Formats: sequence, structure tokens, C-alpha cells
Amino acid sequence: MNELLANGPGLGAWLSLAGLLFCIGTYGLLTRKNLVAVLCSLELMANAVNINLVAFSRFHGDELGQVFALFSIALTVAEVAVGLAIIILVYRQRQGIEIHELTDLRG
Amino acid sequence: MNLPLLSIIVFAPLVAALVLVFVPSSARSTTRIVAVASAIVSLIGSLIVAVGFQPGGGYQFREKYPIIESIGINLELGVDGWGVSLLLLTSIIMFAGSFATWTLKERDKEFYILLLALVCGVYGVFVSLDLFVFFLFYEIAVLPMYLLIGVWGSTKKVAEAGPFRFLFRILDIGGKEYAAMKLTLMLLAGSAFILAGILAMYDAAGLRSFSIEALEAASYPRGMQMWAFPALWLGFGTLAGVFPFHTWSPDGHASAPTAVSMLHAGVLMKLGAFGVMRVGMVMLPEGAQAWAVVVGIVAVINVVWGAMAAMRQTDLKYIIAYSSVSHMGVVMLGAATLTIEGWNGAIYQMFAHGLMTALFFALVGLIYERAHDREIGNMGGFAKAMPAIAVFFTIAGLSSLGMPGLAGFVAELMVFLGAWKGPMAWWALAGIFGAWVTAVYVLRASRAIFWGQGPPERYTDLSDPKGPEWVALVVLTACLILFGLVPGLILVDIDQTTTQYLQLALDAARSGGAR
Amino acid sequence: MNATALAVLVYPLLSFLLLGLVWPLRQNGRLAGWISTLAAVASFLGSLRLLWKVLEGEGVGSATIPWLVADGKVIAELGIHVDGISASMLVVVTLVAACVQAYSLGYLADEPKADLGRYFTWHSLFIVAMGGLVLAPNLLQLFLAWELVGLCSYLLIGFYWRKPSAGRAAVKAFWVTKFADMGLLLGLIVLYATTGSFEWSTPVPAAWAVVVPALLFVGVMGKSAQVPLHIWLPDAMEGPTPVSALLHAATMVAAGVFLIVRAYPLFEAAPPLLLAMTWIGAVTALVAAVTAVVQDDIKKVLAYSTCSQLGFMIAALGSGQLMGGYFHLTTHAFFKALLFLGAGAAIHATHSNSIHQMGGLWRSTRFSAVLFIVGAAALAGIPGLAGFFSKDLILEELLHAGQYGPLAMLLLSAGLTAFYMTRVVAIAFFGPASEGAAHAHESPPSMLLPMTVLMVPAVLAGLAGPLFAGLWNQPYHFALTPVGGLATLAALSGIGLGVLRYGTRSWASPLPEGPRRFILSAPIDSFWLAAWQRGLQPVARGIGWVDRYVVDGLMNAVGWLFLLAGEKVRALQTGRAQDYVLGVLMGVLAVVAYGLVGAA
Repeated sequence: MNELLANGPGLGAWLSLAGLLFCIGTYGLLTRKNLVAVLCSLELMANAVNINLVAFSRFHGDELGQVFALFSIALTVAEVAVGLAIIILVYRQRQGIEIHELTDLRG
Repeated sequence: MNLPLLSIIVFAPLVAALVLVFVPSSARSTTRIVAVASAIVSLIGSLIVAVGFQPGGGYQFREKYPIIESIGINLELGVDGWGVSLLLLTSIIMFAGSFATWTLKERDKEFYILLLALVCGVYGVFVSLDLFVFFLFYEIAVLPMYLLIGVWGSTKKVAEAGPFRFLFRILDIGGKEYAAMKLTLMLLAGSAFILAGILAMYDAAGLRSFSIEALEAASYPRGMQMWAFPALWLGFGTLAGVFPFHTWSPDGHASAPTAVSMLHAGVLMKLGAFGVMRVGMVMLPEGAQAWAVVVGIVAVINVVWGAMAAMRQTDLKYIIAYSSVSHMGVVMLGAATLTIEGWNGAIYQMFAHGLMTALFFALVGLIYERAHDREIGNMGGFAKAMPAIAVFFTIAGLSSLGMPGLAGFVAELMVFLGAWKGPMAWWALAGIFGAWVTAVYVLRASRAIFWGQGPPERYTDLSDPKGPEWVALVVLTACLILFGLVPGLILVDIDQTTTQYLQLALDAARSGGAR
Repeated sequence: MNATALAVLVYPLLSFLLLGLVWPLRQNGRLAGWISTLAAVASFLGSLRLLWKVLEGEGVGSATIPWLVADGKVIAELGIHVDGISASMLVVVTLVAACVQAYSLGYLADEPKADLGRYFTWHSLFIVAMGGLVLAPNLLQLFLAWELVGLCSYLLIGFYWRKPSAGRAAVKAFWVTKFADMGLLLGLIVLYATTGSFEWSTPVPAAWAVVVPALLFVGVMGKSAQVPLHIWLPDAMEGPTPVSALLHAATMVAAGVFLIVRAYPLFEAAPPLLLAMTWIGAVTALVAAVTAVVQDDIKKVLAYSTCSQLGFMIAALGSGQLMGGYFHLTTHAFFKALLFLGAGAAIHATHSNSIHQMGGLWRSTRFSAVLFIVGAAALAGIPGLAGFFSKDLILEELLHAGQYGPLAMLLLSAGLTAFYMTRVVAIAFFGPASEGAAHAHESPPSMLLPMTVLMVPAVLAGLAGPLFAGLWNQPYHFALTPVGGLATLAALSGIGLGVLRYGTRSWASPLPEGPRRFILSAPIDSFWLAAWQRGLQPVARGIGWVDRYVVDGLMNAVGWLFLLAGEKVRALQTGRAQDYVLGVLMGVLAVVAYGLVGAA
């Protein structure tokens, strides 16, 4: 327990957390009907990956991972911005953001 | 002076097409002048190449520019005796063809752009010394056809019958879009086979090079040749109208506008046959020998089948289109003999048939434009109103049926000479019979259109060719006669190349692939 | 290069090019006619000179230029080959051609100018082609020229192209001769494959020694109108009469006989074929003679008579005697051309082809009637005239060869020949006066002069026997042998019979009604027609249908199957984003699973 307090959680723990987050995000992505919720799930998955990057960086002593994580966060922000914009447009056109309604690409 | 002649010939049409993009659509005469100018540049270039070509000197007028060196792709150009004659053929037909559609009214700028792109591809195939570039040019030549037929083509009602009657509605059989789609899909399916064959050769040679010369010198395992050759034969053969994959040809040619039919039947089908011989037979000799009997028998079917089918057609364009199927069968028959006479004849037949069928389609276009009708049963007595067209039509027909003094005879004679010496002597008999049936349908058509009382009163616009249209007819006819009387002009070059290739191929086949 | 021989070809060639390329010249029909006729006359003078030189032993030999190559070697040559045969044949061809062209100036004077110009253009081309045939140094060139004369025949038969029957006849002539030419071409191919050249002097290996000449002979049967491939010749009479005289009587149809004479070294090596030739020739002679008896169209009589006489020639060649066949070819060319021109004069005067419409022409066109009768007498074999000598020689030769069957048939044919010619003369010139003859008037001098010129050799050519004997270095003395006597007897009795039957100016039928009907129904024609209508055409229709609806249908069906497959597969594309994500997830899991399995 002291070790845990002194060094913080080990790599395995961080990776488990990231895996858990990723799974939750995936579950949300596949099951939520609201587009905003889908976007949130997507964010969870992205951040799970970020955790991975930072964790590896910390335990391998390579700063590059953190740089990537920052990049990724920045990109995610952009993605969210675009995603929300799309959602707003969809709402304006359809008066709803139910993802099940959006099947125009059906073959 | 070291002009990159081949590049000029190949890319002049492309440059002209780019120039045309910036020419306003309303400047109709400028459009034509640009197109004709590029045709003239290529024609002069081809003539210089043909005159300067030294028989027996291997590839000449070589150029090489790297594209992707790491996997051995270069824009490598050069001509052999076969290439020279087909280059000349292409430039003559393009020259004539750009005059033959002078009166086109609808979207003529776009038409000429596509036509020029197509002809660039054709030139490229005949002079490429790099298999990858060869294939690239091949596709460039094939694809514009889709738009050329789909946009500028004509529609023809086909009676619904037969076991597949239910498809007529579904596929809109007879429509120009249908014809364009069928042609493109069938040719692209063929291309897939070609690509497989080419990649197999690249892989089996293990040289990390697409250079035709390098791949020619390599040896390929027998097992690979046994499947790669038929793949190339069927792939290229589709474009050459090999039975039963010829059915795009009648509909495609019948729907296409005049200049497109001229180029397509006159030159593009030759790309297919050229590919079978140049890539298939020369480079995979063992496969070629093993499959020669099949290739020959199918070619014989082509000759007789096409001729017989042409006999019962009543639509002028279909008659000529089926005659192309039959005559391309003669080319493939010559190729399948694997004899010098047969190969010389095959290449010469490509040349002769190109000129002849281009002339035919030009004439059919003129007749159609004036009569607004393609049913020969409705016509009659046209010679009164269009005597010159009647004369040209007769000359084209005579070349088609193998009248001595015209180019077609030289080619057919040599193919038949080779056929008797080839794997099965009776091929010659079938070929000769096909030539007789040709006489039957050509003279029948000519009589129905031009002879007799008439013309019927509802044909009010009949007249002889005007202005630029004369150029196309006179040039093609003069070439038919010239190359019929003096075949040596190109036959010497062709023969040298044939001798060299056939020797290589036979040696390789004899020594079991190891060179 | 033999300049004299070349000149013979160059004059008509220049005329052809001039008329062919210079549009206005051709449009002016009469001028074109004069140019072409002058070229033909020049050509005739040139060939006379050539014959003279050859008789003096000068300029014999050949000169060639390479034409086709294969494997770096010349495999075919074109050129000229001058010897006694080609020189004498050239004289015949150019003389008849010149006469016929001059005659055409008068005969076709009323035709449209453009048509007339075209007519003389083709005539010039014909002389070039026929000259090229006669001077051919090898079989390939002979074949090239052979096809070209066939083309001229097609074009000239179709001179009245507005007339449907003329168009049909032209096409039929081309199809039938081209059908036979398949044999000739195949023969050439086998010759090349077995000997490596197109020479007629290279012996063919024994295995093919019969096949090659037999194939060549098939072509001969077409061109020289032997039964059963003679069906085009009577129809070819749709062409203008001068064309019938030149192409379909005197020269082009004789090309087959000429080919055999030329390529005799090949034929000689095939005794079974020679025997067959004798019989085919004899059968043709008899069948055609019988058919000629019942014809009422004066040109048809002459056409069948041509068939019959060609049968004589072929039979002679089959019996191994070249001289008789070739001699008869020459004399026949003269008197048959004269007969056709005479018939043309009668047609010109009465505007009808039927001999019954010509009755009593003797009174109005006495001069041309005399010329016609001289020709008829020469054909019938009246002693002293050209036909007598050559026919006699053929019969002698057959007797010599011991071919008694064909000999008897030919004797019978000779009698029939005399009979039908007498019938024509009796009805057309001395028969009951007809409507047509009442308004008839004598032909213009432009027609009578060439006929008079032709009459000279038609009468005298028989005396040229020794000259022809010289060509083959064999002795020739004319002597009236029993066979000759028999032939004369046959001819005289034929004439007598004719005079008995028609001299009383009755309209008697030449044969009982049944056989007459049967012959007029043209059974051999019907056979070919049936083969065409019930054989080739249905097959072509079937193939066309199968191609359109089955082969193409299969292609369409393949395309349609892809469409169908697409219909099924498109269900996977729900359009719902989450389904796609699920797919991605599955894919990732699959890759991971694969990696785990691979690692293990």
C-alpha cells in the first residue's frame, strides 16, 4: 500500500483504466440513440487512448507520448467542434438528433 | 537533331486536348483546327518514324523517362516493325477521323477532347516498352469510349426475343447507354485478366522491372505460363472481339458516332490483337504453343460466325460491325498459326482492316447522316444521288472480301498461307470460306443500297460528300490501294520483327522456357 | 524488262488512270470512249509487235519484281512472262477488246454520259487485268489478275445498275465465280505449302500431286463456266452485249482454259484429274448445247453455246493435248465475239432479245446479218472456216487419246451446235416478219466496222494451225480424217435438220414439250438456289439469332447476375452509423484474434 502511495498506480492499472473507459465508450457508441451521447462516447474512447499514451510515456520515460497526447487532445477538440456543428445542422433540418433516423445512406 | 519523336506523336493529342479545354465551346472551327493540327503533327511524326525505321534494327527511336524507379516503372518508348506499321495506321485513321465528324453539332468540344485522349492512349500502347505504361495507355484508350458512346451515340430498338427475353426491359437493351455500359464493363473485365497476367509476369521474372525487354528475356515457369497466357488472351482478346466475348462490338459500333466507330473498329480492336501477340505470344511462348490450337479454333469460329451473322443483318452499321468481328478473327487466326507468314499476315491484316473498316464506318456515317436511316432494306438506287460514296463503298467492300490490288488481299493471303502450315491445316479452308461469305454480304449490302431504281422519294437529303469529308475518304482509299499494290512498304519492317520474335518464341518453347 | 510487252499493259493502264482520276473526262462519256478505244488499239498494235518479235525468237523470258516477303525471303513476285502463248493470247485479247470498244461507241451511244464514262474506265481496267493474267510469270499473279477480271465482269454486267435483274446477275456472277475461286486459292496455298513457291513448273510432291491441280481446276470450272458451276454465265447476259462479247465469250471465260495451259506441268502429273476434266468438258459441251437449243433469247443461245465450246476446250486439255484446246480458244474468241456483236446489232435494231421479235431482219439489216451468218457458220464448223479446223483438231486428239465416250458426246454437241445456230439464223433473219424488224435499220458504221474487222480472223484463223503447232513444237498438217469427216457430217446434218425444221418459216418447237420444259426450268440453277435458300441462308439466320439472343443474352445474363447479387448484398448497407461501427469493431477484434492465434 505504501508502494502504491509512493509511486502511484503501476502501468497495468492505468492500462486497465484506459481499457475500461474504451469499452464503456464503445458500448455507448454502439447503443446510445442520441447523437450527443454518441459523441460523448466517442470522447471517452479518445481519452482512453490518451491515457494510454501518457501512461506509456510515463513508464517508458519517453516524452514523445505526452506530445502525442496533447496533439490528440487538440484534434479531439476540433473533432468535437465539427461533430457538434453537424449535430446542430441535423437538428435544424430534422427537428431531432436520433441516430436511428439518419439512414439516408441505406443501400 | 534528336527530337523525341515518339513522345511528340503520343502526347500531341493530349496537348491538343488540354488546349481545347481552354477554347470556348462556341469557337467551333478553332476546335476542329486544333484537333486536326494535332492529328497532322502525329501523322507527320509517324511518317518520319516509318521512313527512318531501319528494318532489323530492333527497337528504335527510343526514349526513357523514370516514373517510379523503385519498382521499375519507366516511361520507356520505342518502336519495332509491328509498332511502326500500327503507329502509321493510327495516325492515318485519326487524321481521317477528325475530318469525318466535321459536321458534329452537339458538344463538339468535349467530343474532340475525349477523342484526342483516346487516341493518345492508342499511340502509347503501340510504342510502350514498359508493361506498366503499356497497361496504363491501354486503359486510357478504353475508358473515353464510355462517354463517347453514352453521350454522342445513337439508340437502336432491338426486338425482344430469345431465352433471355426478360432482360430487355431490365437492361434497356438497344439503348446507347446500354451499349456504352456493356462495352466498358466487358473491356474492363478483360483488363482485370490482363492485369493479373502482367503482375504474374512481373512477379515470376523477379526483376523488379516492368521493362518489356527485360521481361522478354526472362524465363517463366511452365505452370505459370499455362494460366497466364489464357488470361492475357481472354483479356486482350475481349477487345479484339474474340468469340464469345465479341458481343460488345456490334452494339458498341452500331451505337457509336462516326469518328468513334472509325477509331474503335479501326484501331482499338487492334490493341487487343496486338496485346495478345506482343505480350501473350512473344513473352509467354510455351503457353502460346500449348494454347495455339484453342486460340486458332476460336479464331476460326470468329471468322465464320462473324461473317454469317453479318449476312443476316439488315442494319448497315451492324453489318460492318459484324464484319469487324469476322476480320479480327482473321488476325487471331494468323497469330494462332505461329508461323512467319501467319504473323506477318496478322499484323498486315490489322493494318488493312483498320483502313478498310475506318473507311466503311466513315461511309456509313455519311450515308446515315443523309438518309437518316440504317435499314438497307429501305434503301436502293442511292448511286444516282451519291455516286462517289458508291464508289468508295465498293472499294472498301472489295478490300474486305479480299480483292487483289487492295490491302485486304495481301493480309488474308498471308494469313491463309500461314494457316495451312499451322497446327491445323483446315483453318485455311475455314478462313477462305469466311472470305467468300464476306463477298456475299458486302455485295448484297452494296446492291441493296446503291443499285436499282430509286432512290425512294422520302430520302431528300442524299448527296455526295462535301468539303472536309472528302479528305477522310480519299486518304483512306488511297492508302488501301497503295498498300494493296506495294505491300513491301511496311511488310519488310513487319517481317523483320516477326522473324526475330518468332525465332525467340520458338527457341524458348523448344528449350522448355529456359533461355 | 521487255518494253514491248510492258507497253501493251501501259496504254490501257494510262487510260484507266486518266479516266478513273480525272472526273470531268469520265463524265464526258464519248471522249472517255475514244481515249479508251485508242488505248486498246495501241495495245493491240503493241501486242502484234510483241508476237512478231517472239516469232523471230526475241524477247522471250520473264522479268519479275519482289512482292511479298516472309522470313526475309521473297515468297511472291509479280512481273511479265513473254513467250509464244502469252504473245498470241495477247493479240487475241487486245484485238477483240479494241473491236468491242469501238463497237460500244456506237452501240451504247444513247446511254447516260456518266455511265458511259464508267463503262470505258472498266474496259480499260479489264485490258490491264487480262493482260496481267496472260503475261503472268507465276500462278499468284495469274490469280490476282483472275480476280480483277472477275471484278471487271461484275462491274460491267452491272452496267445497267438501275435494272434489278442486272444487279442480281452481276452479284450472282461474282458469288459463283468467287465460290469456285475458293478452290483456286486453296490450291495456291497448298502449292505454296508443298513447294515453297507459286511457280507452275515446280513439281508438287506425289502426295499432293492430284490435290493441287484439282483445287485449281475448281476455280477453272467457275471462271470457264463448266457444269455445274456454269449457272452465272447465262445470267451474265444482263450486261451490255459488247461486254458479253469481250468478257463472257472471247476472253475472260477462256482464262480458265488459259490457266490449265499455263499450269499444265501440274495438271500433267495428275492423270485421274485429266480424265475427269475430259468428262466434265464433254458433259458441259453436251448439256449446254442441248440447253441452247431451246432458248429464245439470242444472247442466251450464244451464252450456252459459249459454255458448250468451253467444254470442248476443257475436254481437249483433259485428253492431254494442249494445242487443240488452245487453238479452239483462239478461233472461238474471234467467231464468238463476232456472233455477239452481230447479235448486238440485231438487238440494237429491234430493241428486243427474243429471236422471234427479230423475224425478217434479213431484209432490213443485210450487212450485219451476213456477218452474223459467217460467225454462225464458223461456230457450226463449216469446212474452211475457223471453227472447223480447231474443232476437228480437238476431236482428232480425243480419238488419239482413246476417249471414245467424250468423243461421241462432243460429236453430238457439234451437231447440236450446227442445229441451234441454224435455228437462230432461220428464225431471226429469215423467219416471219415481226413488229421489231419492220422498223429496224442498219447499224451505224462504228458498229459495222469492228464487226468486219473481226470477221477476217473468224474466217481465216483456222489457217493459223501451223503457227500454233510451232508453240508446242509439234507437227501439224491438216488432213481430213474419218473423225473430221464425221464432224463435218454432224455439222451438215445439224444444219440440214435446222433448215428442214425452220426453213419453212414455221414456229416449230425445237424439242418435245416435256423435255423443253424441263430444260427451261434450269434444274442445276434450282439446285444451287435451294442450297442457297435452304442451306446457307437459314444457317446465317440461325447464327445471327443465336448471336443476338443467346451469346449476347448470356453476356447480359452475367451482367444481370451481378445486379441481382448487388440487390442481395445491399441489405448489409443499413445506413445506420452504429451498424458500421459494429463492423469496424468486429474487424478489429478479428485482427486481434488473428494476432493472438498467430503468436501462440
